[in-house]
Amino acid sequence: MNAAYFVRRLVAVLLVLLTVSLAVFVITMILPGNAAVMILGEYATEDQLRALSEELGLDRPWHVQYLGWLGGMLAGDWGMSMRLSLPVTTVIGEAFWRSAALAAGALATVSIIAIPLGVAAAMRRGTGLDLGIGLFAYLGTAVPEFVTATLLLIFLAGPSSGLFPAGGYIPADKSLPGFLYHMVLPVATLSLILTAHIVRQVRSEMSDVLGSDYVRAARLKGLSEREVILRHALPNALAPAVAVISLDVGYLLGGILVVEEVFAWPGLGRLIIYALQNRDLPVIQAATLTLAATYALSNLVSDIVIAVLDPRVRYA
Amino acid sequence: MTEFKISRRSVVAGLAASPVLPELAFAQTGTPKSGGVLKVSHSTSILTLNVLQNSGPAEYLALDMIYSGLTRLDRNMAPQPELALEWKGENSAKTFIFKLRPAVKFHDGSAFTAADVVATIKAILEPRTASPARAVLDMINDVVALDPLTVRFDLKSSYADLPVSLAHANARIVSEAALKGPLQALNAKAIGTGPFMQETFDSARFMRLVKNKDYYRPGRPYLDAAELYLFPDLAAESTNFLSGAVDVMLDVQQADFKRIAAAPGVQAQRVPSGRFVNVVMRRDSKPFDDARVRHALAMAIDRPALVDLVLDGLGQPAADNCISPGYRYLVDTPVPKYDPQAARKLLAEAGHTSGIKIPLICSNRPAIRAQVGVAVKEMAKTAGFDIDVQTIPHDTYLANVWRKGNFYIGYWGMQPTEDAAFTLLFTTNAAFADTAWNNKEFDDLVAKGRETVDDAERKRLYAQAQMLMVRDRPSIIPFFQDVLTANRTHVKGWRAHPLSRTFYTEDVWLDRA
Amino acid sequence: MRDLLRHPTGVVGASLLLVIFLAVVAGPSLAPYDPQSFHPQARLQGPSATFWLGTDQFGRDVLSRILHGARATVLFGLGATLAGVSVGALIGITAGVAGRWIDSLIMRLLDGMLAVPDLLFTLLIVTVIGSSTGNAMLAVAVAFSPGMARIARSAVLSVRTRDFVQAAIARGESRAYIIGAEVLPNTIGPVIVEASIRVSFAIMLGATLGFLGLGAQPPSTEWGLMIAEARQFMFRNPWCVAAPGLAIAIAALGFNLFGDALRDILDPRGRR
Repeated sequence: MNAAYFVRRLVAVLLVLLTVSLAVFVITMILPGNAAVMILGEYATEDQLRALSEELGLDRPWHVQYLGWLGGMLAGDWGMSMRLSLPVTTVIGEAFWRSAALAAGALATVSIIAIPLGVAAAMRRGTGLDLGIGLFAYLGTAVPEFVTATLLLIFLAGPSSGLFPAGGYIPADKSLPGFLYHMVLPVATLSLILTAHIVRQVRSEMSDVLGSDYVRAARLKGLSEREVILRHALPNALAPAVAVISLDVGYLLGGILVVEEVFAWPGLGRLIIYALQNRDLPVIQAATLTLAATYALSNLVSDIVIAVLDPRVRYA
Repeated sequence: MTEFKISRRSVVAGLAASPVLPELAFAQTGTPKSGGVLKVSHSTSILTLNVLQNSGPAEYLALDMIYSGLTRLDRNMAPQPELALEWKGENSAKTFIFKLRPAVKFHDGSAFTAADVVATIKAILEPRTASPARAVLDMINDVVALDPLTVRFDLKSSYADLPVSLAHANARIVSEAALKGPLQALNAKAIGTGPFMQETFDSARFMRLVKNKDYYRPGRPYLDAAELYLFPDLAAESTNFLSGAVDVMLDVQQADFKRIAAAPGVQAQRVPSGRFVNVVMRRDSKPFDDARVRHALAMAIDRPALVDLVLDGLGQPAADNCISPGYRYLVDTPVPKYDPQAARKLLAEAGHTSGIKIPLICSNRPAIRAQVGVAVKEMAKTAGFDIDVQTIPHDTYLANVWRKGNFYIGYWGMQPTEDAAFTLLFTTNAAFADTAWNNKEFDDLVAKGRETVDDAERKRLYAQAQMLMVRDRPSIIPFFQDVLTANRTHVKGWRAHPLSRTFYTEDVWLDRA
Repeated sequence: MRDLLRHPTGVVGASLLLVIFLAVVAGPSLAPYDPQSFHPQARLQGPSATFWLGTDQFGRDVLSRILHGARATVLFGLGATLAGVSVGALIGITAGVAGRWIDSLIMRLLDGMLAVPDLLFTLLIVTVIGSSTGNAMLAVAVAFSPGMARIARSAVLSVRTRDFVQAAIARGESRAYIIGAEVLPNTIGPVIVEASIRVSFAIMLGATLGFLGLGAQPPSTEWGLMIAEARQFMFRNPWCVAAPGLAIAIAALGFNLFGDALRDILDPRGRR
């Protein structure tokens, strides 16, 4: 892997983001219902609506608006939220880190749980354990997040059990234990589905690798089973697993929307839903772009990790 | 479980007010303790802090803590002194002199004077401000500061209820200095004279207000601070409240009320109110231009069943009269019986022998609109109405359907006076007229009632107006909803108010060891 | 077909799908009650002899609503996926066959669309064009097309270099013939596998949109919407949430397992 490859990929990411920005902008331009009406509410007069539209620049031709917006974004000025009267950078910045905490928690949980589960299932192929894990994995991918979230709410946060808080958020600098405590249920919801995906992937990859000539040769060489697994099988199985994990970041970013809404976790997902419902255009545009950028960059990172793990890999 | 049921009576808006009376609406259980932070959860966003323009349920709470008006309505809907200590009507209620409370300061330290009152009233009367308070104050011709603590109102015609109108939630006093700047600045920054000051405001999730140490009621507020938490998900909000994480749940959903009331350590409150959902039938278009169709639909709705199904029993059936029980000038108008057979016959008489097929538009905010729509659809089926319920986003509804469509669901909070209720929707020049009723007789009755200072005469006029509403049915008002709230038992002084716009948060205290 | 029965996942998947399709085809006639009629005296009841899965807040029979909602939910998933697959496959095959700069351009556009997570993409589209079952289906179809295009394209690319295609080119066969007779039959496999798995995602996406109030609207009996409406009452009658939730899981699981079994059969060494 050389620098040229890296640069090429980076340029590709930038082009992608440009496309996304244009698409998102066009979408917000044709939003029905008028941002001014949403902001001023039912009591606004025609004059007032027109005045606000002018002030927000909603009456300029769309390509002018787009270029103005794009220029601003690149310069670091993301505009003002129409509803929150705060700079968009502040709003998104804070929300981003809160979502990142959930995502990090979910990925950590998943790595710790899913990979060993997948390995165990592959090694005990055909046994009750394998079937059990397989069943869990399949169920996990068939239940939408809002159902999982609701069930967790009823069983673990309801007044009868009261084990966990039913949503909400405490800033980490105010109380770290409180912050972590409120994270548990949202992270659990996200992890459930991710774990299911990854268990399946790891299990199938491990099975293939375990049956390969490479591993058979290692066994014939007389290496202990543990050495075979850890030094020969696992690294080869992990590369595609990392690929799947990166694909699941996209899934994670989608799941975060619903999970944050149900648990009232004030991250990027909740922000987007709130911005969509209230037609807060600058926030919609910037937040979508941020999510897309996160996704694209995480794909890039995982591509690099895979290339490092497996030097034979080459992408066009 | 404790459940408070407060009966409502309104007292005639006095032409003169006596000096400050302490608020003794409830016997205090124990001596109030100072200190503590009140945590309140709510499910609708606080989108703006502009007290002249806001309309969201949680916004009323926040702004009631920050701003004060000249008067405030107590739980019997009578105006009490607030920033005005006394007022006098002259010239048979065409002129009013208000004497203001001295030594009041805004949160930024500046002094409150008559100039601030004048500036605020003028801003409200200015159409470009688009203030909902304008509809109840548009009889004001001029407002003048006679001296720093005296204001004179000159009205276009007699209006005995001016002190009630000035208690409107959007008629709170903003400083003249703030009004000199752009109106938008008030959306995020609120500087008032109320018991609490704005400290943190994050519209997407959280607001914190702290005690105003210079509040003009000595010893109040008891609380050190109040925190408002947004929980957009209702199930999470109620679970969160029951687990004790917050002290007050601002609005309880009908579905949860009984369960929450039965929970230990919780006090659930319900107050009958004039809040209603109505079915708008625009008269200047088919098929509702024929009175028989409107009456047929009115008979095709089982109102007590609607109260059970949609409100879980937490309300009362209504008779298409916008005046609810508890208003002083209510006349008894019997609730129409559910009679789909008679409705079908009436429809046939009007020429619709095979029924009517028609779309009913419901905004998705609040959800009760669609619930009523679905229930009405099912109930009116046997009467021959084939109703296609369509739910659309709120802003599309505002832009395309509200006041334009001919069959949709409306949602309105309670108004402080009969006049305000009539002139909100039903007079020809009503602020939000959407039924195209345009009935001169009704307009005249309401106008005369507004100007009358004779109580008996007023009663007669308003009675006639209500009978007209029932006879002509500009819209169907099937029920009145109770206002529902809940608090933990260690919270004292938190009381539901039928208008749900005044909260008396300076009387709230926490009884904790 | 016989292969399918040898795979346990295939058997389970197929059986689940059988149940689901029964509900889709015969649901409304099997339903004991009209899904919209109220039984005000029997609100929020658990399962009983009269109402096998209980009743909701309006006293409507949950079982009848689920049987009716099968059509809305499952056909949503199938319809959205079909549309997404068709459009996506078309784009992908075009890109794979055309080659060079058309291919690059299309790939860039697809990458852009793929950079936005599915749910967010559908949310944006539905916010713009309005919330309804039809619009939600369109949104999901649009969100799926880039992924499908990618799969179709890579299938085409892998086939292009194979001997029989080279032979056909050498023989001088027309482009259309090559595409129709050689390329298409070999791309169908991966596309179908991906499509059947995607149906389960489409069903879940549709349910999520219904849950957020942006998909099916009341009084539809779509399963996601049923859960959304029942959440307020879930502590009083958890069956209102559990029953449709289970139904969604069964449908999604059925398609998922079926698709997996298909993949094992059609392409044993294939990767997603």
